[in-house]
Amino acid sequence: MLFPDREALPSQGFHQICKMKMFSVAHKTVFVVDHCPYMAESSRQQVECDVLTKSRAQGVIPLAPVSKSLWTCAVECSMEYCRILYDVYPKDKLVNYIVSDSEFHILNSWRREDQSTHELMSALAAVGPPNPREDPECCSILHGLVAAVESLCKITELQHEKRIALMDTADRVANRGRIICLTNAKSDTHVRMLEDCIQETIIEQNKLAAGSDRLMAIQQCELVLVHIYPQGEDTLVSDRPKKEISPLLTSEVHSVRAGRHLATKLNILVQQHFDLASTTITNIPMKVKEEQHANTSANYDVELLHHRDAHLEFFKSGEYLHMAGTSTRENGLKETVTLKWCTPRTNSIELHYCTGAYRISPTDVNSRPSSCLTNFLLNGRSVLLEQPRKSGSKVISHMLSSHGGEIFLHVLNSNRSTLEDPPSISEGCGGRVTDYRITDFGEFMRENRLTPVSESSHDPSGKLPAERAKAQLERHTRYWPMIISQTTIFNMQAVVPLANLIVKETLTDEDVLTCQKTVYNLVDMERKNDPLPISTVGSRGKGPKRDEQYRIMWNELETLVKTHAGATDRHQRVLDCIIACRSKPPEEEDRKKRGRKREEREDRTEKNGSKETDDKSWQDSERSVGLMDKDEQESEVIKDSPDSPEPLNKKPRLTSEEIQPPERTKGPVSLLTMWSNRITAVNSRKHQEFFGRASSVNSKFELYQHLKDENGMDVHENGKATR
Amino acid sequence: MPTVVLMDVSLSMTRPVSLDGIEEFQRKNLAVHGLNMLFEHMASNYRLEFTSLMAFSSLWELLVPFTRDYNALQEALSNLEDYDKTCVEAALNGVSNVVQQEWGSACPCQVVLVTDGSLGIGKGSLRHSLQTLKQRGDDKKFPLPFPFPTKLFIMCIANAEELQMTDAMDNLEELLCLSGGDGQIFTMEGPLCMKSVQTMFGKLIDLVYSPFHAVLHCGNLSSDVQVFPRPEPVVMDEEVEPMPRTVSTDLEIVGFIEIADIASPPVISRHLVLPIAVNKDVDEVGTGTTDELEEEPSASQMAGKSPNFCVLLHGSLKFAFLPLSKKKSNLMMSLFDPGPEPLPWLGKISHLGPISEAADNPYGEDDSKSPFPVQPQVKRSYAQNVTVWIKASGLQTDVQKILRNARKLPDKTQTFYKELNRLRKAALAFGFWELLKGVADLLERECTMLPDSAHPDAAFQLSHAAQQLKLASTGDSQYAAFDHNIVPMHTDFSS
Repeated sequence: MLFPDREALPSQGFHQICKMKMFSVAHKTVFVVDHCPYMAESSRQQVECDVLTKSRAQGVIPLAPVSKSLWTCAVECSMEYCRILYDVYPKDKLVNYIVSDSEFHILNSWRREDQSTHELMSALAAVGPPNPREDPECCSILHGLVAAVESLCKITELQHEKRIALMDTADRVANRGRIICLTNAKSDTHVRMLEDCIQETIIEQNKLAAGSDRLMAIQQCELVLVHIYPQGEDTLVSDRPKKEISPLLTSEVHSVRAGRHLATKLNILVQQHFDLASTTITNIPMKVKEEQHANTSANYDVELLHHRDAHLEFFKSGEYLHMAGTSTRENGLKETVTLKWCTPRTNSIELHYCTGAYRISPTDVNSRPSSCLTNFLLNGRSVLLEQPRKSGSKVISHMLSSHGGEIFLHVLNSNRSTLEDPPSISEGCGGRVTDYRITDFGEFMRENRLTPVSESSHDPSGKLPAERAKAQLERHTRYWPMIISQTTIFNMQAVVPLANLIVKETLTDEDVLTCQKTVYNLVDMERKNDPLPISTVGSRGKGPKRDEQYRIMWNELETLVKTHAGATDRHQRVLDCIIACRSKPPEEEDRKKRGRKREEREDRTEKNGSKETDDKSWQDSERSVGLMDKDEQESEVIKDSPDSPEPLNKKPRLTSEEIQPPERTKGPVSLLTMWSNRITAVNSRKHQEFFGRASSVNSKFELYQHLKDENGMDVHENGKATR
Repeated sequence: MPTVVLMDVSLSMTRPVSLDGIEEFQRKNLAVHGLNMLFEHMASNYRLEFTSLMAFSSLWELLVPFTRDYNALQEALSNLEDYDKTCVEAALNGVSNVVQQEWGSACPCQVVLVTDGSLGIGKGSLRHSLQTLKQRGDDKKFPLPFPFPTKLFIMCIANAEELQMTDAMDNLEELLCLSGGDGQIFTMEGPLCMKSVQTMFGKLIDLVYSPFHAVLHCGNLSSDVQVFPRPEPVVMDEEVEPMPRTVSTDLEIVGFIEIADIASPPVISRHLVLPIAVNKDVDEVGTGTTDELEEEPSASQMAGKSPNFCVLLHGSLKFAFLPLSKKKSNLMMSLFDPGPEPLPWLGKISHLGPISEAADNPYGEDDSKSPFPVQPQVKRSYAQNVTVWIKASGLQTDVQKILRNARKLPDKTQTFYKELNRLRKAALAFGFWELLKGVADLLERECTMLPDSAHPDAAFQLSHAAQQLKLASTGDSQYAAFDHNIVPMHTDFSS
């Protein structure tokens, strides 16, 4: 018995890639930073920036150390939070930055173009530090918090795009967000007042949002209040873990000393908020430049942050807990996994089995070891990383590599593969064929390589670039024999110019000229009786005679060009040229000879009961080639082309109309006919058949019949009387 | 995706099946029959699957480690012995160990649990295990969910009514839920007999072990292929797009890309792409003459001799990328995250177009360049020389850099102003006006300490720079604009 209720939960248990929902609280982060006079106070953490060298120290009074204000501490830590966030999630994890004093100042919007630390720093510079002389009574963080709630209701580009894409299931697009408030609160009661105020504002704003297209009601809001106080003072606000204020709002309070502690706190928060984890690359060899001994090197460590899924395997296997490389920091909150640098040997291109790639951000971006590592990677080198194991065995578990100026931590698979020992290609279908056109297809692949196309460039056809790439593949494969012994023209250097041009979507007059020259050249070769690279494998004696060889070649060339003749008039001109120039029709006795062979073949076809569609008969003939024993197969390859329909150059102008009607499948069907019919069938699916052609008798249709019918009746067309 | 068959060999499996007929079976016989059917099917249609066989009662035993030798598996089935009571938890712990030892914790696995649904009594019973789930320490955690992605299929040699009379069905459902919910419970319909066990295993085969057949297209060239293992449906975001994405049976090549450009991309899964001969002309051959019977053995030989696009593609790829490699290789398909832009460095997949449309070949006439990787619009922090003063050392380094260059004026004029402006921008953004004043003081001091031999321009530049910093530190919008740069003072000492 099946349990349909399990099937009704489609998402359950399926491979889940993104642990974080697209519209989790992490989609929108509002920073609300206190700009009230109090924030201008010193953090009392002093920085000595005048580091005198010994030789210059005499007689110089060093500059007094500088100290950052609470405002400066708050701003630089929030910028560091944003730096890491934008490094790891350059898209669609958005920040809205608000500053609050006697009013609120919104420094940027949710728009993608506003999402960069440069934008924010520029706006912050315009705001400047708080004015210590401003009236503290007029100033409040509340202005900013209210503005933050309003901002969370504003729809982002991604929310808008997804709502439009989902149409009637647009309600799946959630609206959640987080407010990080950096302030100096007065007391726990003050904090409660702020929370209540946010709660009320959410309810108010949600009502407003219900009646607007550009606003969305907030479903979940996470308030992270960071109380900042100067060093050496006691805090007036107590820490409090996350608690639910209402189903819409949760709140947590962190009470932190300005300076180093604040920086650490925000670093931990960005990791928690965006599912990050830390890896320390150890044993990085680095030349010591500053010292005199330019050639000595020392080993350095660099810490990187990235999505925690890069450690998934460690956590799961339990290896992580006992790993020698795991260390716990002073604060006990943050752990890092240590991976060892393996000096890259060569720059050889290898395709690793990689199960994940995650953007990184160095914790200490400006330090010399960090910038040495990142520059090394940005210059195109990749570094394999080794996981130290308790057993002492070596396992390469990760790789650092940059792509387009972004550095990624790749997770490499180090387990046994379930695909090991696959069946040999040579034992499978087509495995015994030895004359594949390997190099030709290599060239084909080169010609059909892809390139990124700007999204702004618009194609007149309205097709996306990938669709146009597929259309090109279709054109290039209309006639593409897979093995050398199945083709003559593709083994001939002389045909190359034409073969390369004819597959193009459009031809220039010059292209046509080149094709015509190719044809004339072939005619010339035929007159001079030059030998052709016709496969003689398996055929008894010396193979077909020279004139027979040329007929095979011409037939094949015609087949190729015919598949493109319908594209444009210029393509047709190339076909016309071939038909006009190609060798004369075969002699009567030649026809007799072939007639005999045709009978043989007819026999076979009838035995197989082949009265299928033309599309099918093409496949059949391909397969039947393979089903015959070797001798027969190879001679068949040669016979295939001569069995083409009578050369049509007696009435060259009518060729395209004279294609055998698809119903006529009785008797031998030539390769050319199969191809033509197949292409006709393909093409006919793309347009409605002309009325005239569809209702023609013997490919003839009388034009202007309606005039005859209506003759003398003085009918009205388009409301106008005809003369 | 490897399979573990977990066979219940407790005494209850020897319970006879009451039948009207003469023959009498034990439930075990039915189970073995079903499994034999499964193994036979896999041997002929799903041969590349690694399967292992474990038996369990109160203890568990690995009878056949992961193998593709289905004869070995069938032979082990025929030698099963009967043991004591059912203890599912212990057996699942065994599965967890066996799988992780062989495949690690990332490889998805299928577990086929075959049981009669009498799940033990007292301690060690599934009921007891589930009741005590929440009262366990870290060392005695219930083995589900397994660390590796799991599909759990529970084959009950019992019918649903029987299982619903006790809490067996509830317990099994909870078990499936605990394992992550991916999988299914199968029960037998109608009387317990060979036929109904076949029906039940038939359903499992259809659902899990039917080969994935597809057609690989490259324009008008194509090949029938089997994709192994079966590509699994994928859910990217259960909230926005709860419907799983599946792989189409028409695999269309869009174009080609260099191996260096694709650059070890992250993949969801990898699959072998094996050309197969699909017998489309069954009607034509099906006349059943002796002639054709004789031909049959050579059918695969025939297929081997007819050109196949897969082989051509594989050969050309190998030739293009590994011309000298003698290593055995196969055509493989990797699945990327579904979505418009699985690899940032390729840009949107829908916006990869043919090179023929570009004005100049983006690979160069001699393949000397590449249009990849696609560069993001904004540089990452580590690629743009950002200013971070969280640590005192960061600030000290930046100030020292300015002073070092100040002492080498006028040679280092450009670098001096570049570093000066970098510091100025950051100080303005951080509202750190005190620093601007401090650095201005430092520059003035340097000015007074210039040696007599110094170029006269040095003094001019130093006092100019100091003055500009002081002006900026007032916050006066004329001098403190973020995008404004202090430019070197124009001096002319050439004459």
